[in-house]
Amino acid sequence: MSTQSVTITVDGTPIEVNPDRMLLPELLDKGFSIPHFCYQESLGSDGNCRMCMVEIAGKKRPQISCDTPIVAGMEVRTRGESIEKVRRDILELELINHPVDCPICDQAGECSLQDYYMEYGLYQGKVDKKEKHHFDKHIDLGANVLHDQERCVLCQRCVRFCRDVTHTDELCVAGRGDHSYITTIPGETLHNAYAMNVTDLCPVGALTSKDFRFQQRVWFLATSPSVCHGCAKGCAIDIDHAKSKYHDDTIYRFRPRKNPEINGEFICDAGRLSYKETQTYLLRTCLAKEEILADAEALDRMKAILTEDEYPIVVLADANLYTEELAALQAFARTFHAQLYAPLEAYHDPAFGDDWLKSSQRAANAEGVKRLGIATEMPTLNDNTLVINVNHPDGHRTANRIDLLTHRPDENTERVPARLTLPIAPWVRSSGHLINEDGIEQYCEQVLRRNDPTPTLLERLAHFLDKGDDTILDNMETAL
Amino acid sequence: MSFTWTSAHRAELDALKERYPSPKALVLPALWKVQEQEGFLSLEGIEAVAELTGYSKAEVYGVATFYTMFHLQPQGTYTLQVCKTLSCALNGQGTILDHLKERLGIEVGETTPDGQFTLTQVECLGSCGTAPVMQVNDTLHEHLTPESVDTLLDTLSDKGGSL
Ligand code: SF4
Ligand code: SF4
Ligand code: FES
Ligand code: FES
Repeated sequence: MSTQSVTITVDGTPIEVNPDRMLLPELLDKGFSIPHFCYQESLGSDGNCRMCMVEIAGKKRPQISCDTPIVAGMEVRTRGESIEKVRRDILELELINHPVDCPICDQAGECSLQDYYMEYGLYQGKVDKKEKHHFDKHIDLGANVLHDQERCVLCQRCVRFCRDVTHTDELCVAGRGDHSYITTIPGETLHNAYAMNVTDLCPVGALTSKDFRFQQRVWFLATSPSVCHGCAKGCAIDIDHAKSKYHDDTIYRFRPRKNPEINGEFICDAGRLSYKETQTYLLRTCLAKEEILADAEALDRMKAILTEDEYPIVVLADANLYTEELAALQAFARTFHAQLYAPLEAYHDPAFGDDWLKSSQRAANAEGVKRLGIATEMPTLNDNTLVINVNHPDGHRTANRIDLLTHRPDENTERVPARLTLPIAPWVRSSGHLINEDGIEQYCEQVLRRNDPTPTLLERLAHFLDKGDDTILDNMETAL
Repeated sequence: MSFTWTSAHRAELDALKERYPSPKALVLPALWKVQEQEGFLSLEGIEAVAELTGYSKAEVYGVATFYTMFHLQPQGTYTLQVCKTLSCALNGQGTILDHLKERLGIEVGETTPDGQFTLTQVECLGSCGTAPVMQVNDTLHEHLTPESVDTLLDTLSDKGGSL
């Protein structure tokens, strides 16, 4: 489809552009900064906010660049006093009734309105604060989304997301003119499984997440690229975390990270909120039955059990483990002549899956398991087998067992106590590769560096592995 | 509560449908029919319009709230629609509105306890030359003064609930 590129002049510099696209997306990709509210990469142009005006030689008035086709030879100006005045005037209108409550707004620091105003603003408002019209604040739209009508710039990104992306149509612009506001139909709520994406799409603080509300100022957050472990889709995410005074490094939110091959710019709400699971109910101490053990003591006992007992050994691996960890388990199994399984049945959750991102396979590295050739069925087990259960959700049925767990066992499930239990770090505290259900491989950085580091699985296994076993690496390379 | 088109309305809408390339064009006439049928637009009526036109319920709700002539709440027997746009504003709509509020004891958007009058404000009624004006249900009343409003309301009250 793509035609040949054409040359246009932008701010005096000739550049090559794709004439099939509108001006704004093309210029943004080329690194120009042009303020815009309603245009959004995944949602396209809507032409309602007028923020993206540029000057085009030969046109009397400034044009909205999001809806202006590229014509060879056109001369565009994105800078200069006259276009900046236009921007300043539009921003002035946006702010007539804006409450300017940035100090208590969660969006502050990542707000387009704030950024543009700092760049082009009038600074001294002409409207007396007392004369501003007030609208509703903190309206609960459902699905953890709160709406502040006073801060809304009516760009309709939220409405278009629910209409064009999830096709659930919960939101609309009601009223008209300066009385317009975003709302659900009275008595109804946001009810789609991806609703919280509107809090990312909203360029201002008009839609914020109930979960993140007032938790942390965004400029204190550090961001690590990672991958959601909520299901086999493996959506790319950014993990925002901070180590604040008197607190250990803590995750505050998951946000979608753009990956056109997997999740575009979106993630599901369940995945978004799954950050909580990475830092609550974590197992911190080694246990022998109910008795607390020192780490070194637990490792000694584990070694003794592995080398002295006569039982055949079965290793049950969590299919959420990184490929590197699975390969290390393969080496471990070889060393102790054990059988390695990663039974996948336990991760099958048809109620979770849908026809977009959410997969009914809840194991993040089910594909990695298969590629490493690890058996995926559940073996028949009894107490004549020693089970090394590495965080498998269904690995707790027999008593002759050593558990390596990230989380404290759920007291509500019927669980035979293990002979020995050792904590291992959850995925956000280690790093490695995952292969998603479509065969796409992604790397997860280590996100958290805690003051009280629980050993990672690899650190645990290092005590048992023959350092010269380079089949670990070979295996991994074949898998990847 | 549920909404069913009267057969006459349904037939009229079906006939109208023929005229347009898309049933979406029927959103305004269909909303009018709902309002004629129910006296206001119930959410069920809005849903019926969405079904007929292929718009989502939210989109139809957006349209319904855009126009001041559509009512989203049940109305009194008489809906007093006072024009608030420029010509009327310059010619004393403020006095008329204050007078109505005082006489009826209600604010804009409210209905008198006896269910007779609902007070609303609307945009230009297209009769700027005879400002200030107000439309009572479908009838326009021009050159209003507090006195003429009193006479009008007396007549309407005497008629009671019957239109
Ligand atoms: S709530 Fe946010 S996304 Fe929705 S219209 Fe307002 S500013 Fe735009
Ligand atoms: S679809 Fe799956 S991988 Fe994507 S965000 Fe949701 S739970 Fe996470
Ligand atoms: S981004 Fe162009 S009009 Fe909104
Ligand atoms: S301004 Fe009132 S009728 Fe036109």
